[in-house]
Amino acid sequence: MVHNKNNDLYSIQTINLTKVFKKRKHKGIFGFLKKKTKEEKSGSSEDVTVALDHVNSEIRSGELFGLLGPNGAGKTTLVKCLSTILIPDEGTAIINGFDIRKQTSFVRASIGLVIGGERTLYWKLTARDNLMYFASLYKMPRREAKQRVEEILALMNLSDRADERLEDYSTGMRQKIAVARALLHNPPILLLDEPTLGLDPTFSRQIRNQVRELCKKEGRTILLATHYMKEADELCDRVAIINDGKIAAIDTPERLKAMVKETELVEVSCYNPPHNTEDYLRPLCPDVEIITLIRGDEAKGAPSRIKIIGGNAEKHVSTIVDALRKKDAQITSVNISMPTLEDVFIKITGAKLAEGGIT
Amino acid sequence: MIMESGPQETSLKANFFLVWSEVVKNMKFLMAYPVIFIFWTIFPFFWFITFIFQGQAIVGGLQSPSFAKSAGTSEYIPFIIIGAILNGYVLTSLYGVGESIRREAYQGTLDYLLSSPCNKAFILIGKAVSETISSTVYAIIHLFVCVIFFGIELTLGVIMPIMLILILMILGLYGIALMLAGLSLQFKQAHDLAHTLEYVFLVFAPVRYPLEALPFWAQIIGRFLPLTYALIAVRSLMLLKQDFPAIYQQILLLFVIDVLAIFLGFYLFNWMEKRTKKSGAISQY
Repeated sequence: MVHNKNNDLYSIQTINLTKVFKKRKHKGIFGFLKKKTKEEKSGSSEDVTVALDHVNSEIRSGELFGLLGPNGAGKTTLVKCLSTILIPDEGTAIINGFDIRKQTSFVRASIGLVIGGERTLYWKLTARDNLMYFASLYKMPRREAKQRVEEILALMNLSDRADERLEDYSTGMRQKIAVARALLHNPPILLLDEPTLGLDPTFSRQIRNQVRELCKKEGRTILLATHYMKEADELCDRVAIINDGKIAAIDTPERLKAMVKETELVEVSCYNPPHNTEDYLRPLCPDVEIITLIRGDEAKGAPSRIKIIGGNAEKHVSTIVDALRKKDAQITSVNISMPTLEDVFIKITGAKLAEGGIT
Repeated sequence: MIMESGPQETSLKANFFLVWSEVVKNMKFLMAYPVIFIFWTIFPFFWFITFIFQGQAIVGGLQSPSFAKSAGTSEYIPFIIIGAILNGYVLTSLYGVGESIRREAYQGTLDYLLSSPCNKAFILIGKAVSETISSTVYAIIHLFVCVIFFGIELTLGVIMPIMLILILMILGLYGIALMLAGLSLQFKQAHDLAHTLEYVFLVFAPVRYPLEALPFWAQIIGRFLPLTYALIAVRSLMLLKQDFPAIYQQILLLFVIDVLAIFLGFYLFNWMEKRTKKSGAISQY
């Protein structure tokens, strides 16, 4: 276990954790015949993506810690580095007291991993076969594995369907098996990457309840990477907002939301907003910090949302509504509401959220 | 009770269970796709029958003086059949063990294998054992059919030495398959790599023709392949009716190639695993 200066107990600690990916350039079929430029020869023109940029964080033992960010923010890369699937380029992390660079075997035994969803199981095998196989990877003798698999199947309410092939399971049931797999060796730490992605509301709720129990009743430390802000808000003791590989803020959901005052937040839902909404509205409310359009799938009935954050946003409501109507936008609602983690994300990062970013 | 510290001490039982689980998993896959079993049972017959007809068309019969001179036997059909059966092990090891790592990546299960605390060597041994079992089942079926329909003679005295040769050949082939598995972590196209290697074996090992039929430089390449020594040794026992002491040199050389191939296989696999974990290519497919 890792202790900081205040003698708090940390299960996970990242220290300047950095991961950079080189982008592969496609030069065409005969690209290899092309002469290299000076920059290419020296390597200075190399196109890179900084997936994790000196990430520092500390997760206390028994804490349910959320990692919230849009797709491509670096959540999965962080989970992969912590689980030793990827080797960081700089920095390190301490998991359950073990260094991810030097004590990989101990780190691996300390964590249960849910990553990649339902696809990461053997669909041609039964649930029991899958769990028996994965138990064998955790150095369990057969008898112990068998007993543990039965316990886990019972915990997941899947004992009666344990001998069916996973190809006959629903997506939600397969995801339950993926969570069950992470618990086989009874690890003190769970790394969950988007565990409810693609699940219907019923299974999402079941998985969320399970995650809460694993932390609060059983005392496990959980890192939950998600782009569902409601999930992070509902479950997590503390949340780190990650964007472009950097941790933008870490705090409890309540404290994070307190960063955006109620009077600072207006949300206008409408169909057919002007395509340059931000530029169009900006001169009308110069004191607000952020105006951002989150496009909805209007063809399917989901309106677009315009968020106006910062300054005295509330004061500008009527001006904004009039201006949008002039541009033929059909306004469905105007809310001066309690801020959400999404608003915090927008305020902190100034980032525009695309559809499917944070939801 | 949640485990508080690092992994338990690995027991022999746990490692045996890991190998066993890998074998069971692969066998269940095989049962789930019966067409694979049918293909590998029938395929070698189609493979060698074409060469029998081709040979007949060229020399105008089943005997050829020039073939007899270089092969040491005029029995072309048993020569080709032994080549086909042993070559079957090459194909299953390359496509089975070599490509299986790529398949794990494609299925999304590779991340879980790599993030588990077990020794990965035991997973690979499990894959090799399951391929050996299925390959041997195919080989027995092929041999049985050939004894009945193609007049192959199999005496009880040669069975044990042949088994030893096969085991040694398989070990060498798995060393090469491990290299392929390592390369497929980075380059992904395991099937194409396996296909290329398949033809390297076909050209440079004496599968369809004696080694002496190749130019000198090609014979040297052929001498680095475990299949070459296994074919020479098995044909010496079965066709030339030589006894075990006459082939000990081939066995010794096969053993040396095995040690080299396995060492290189594990080294390359571990190196590629580390390299792809650094580059991020490990999770791509």
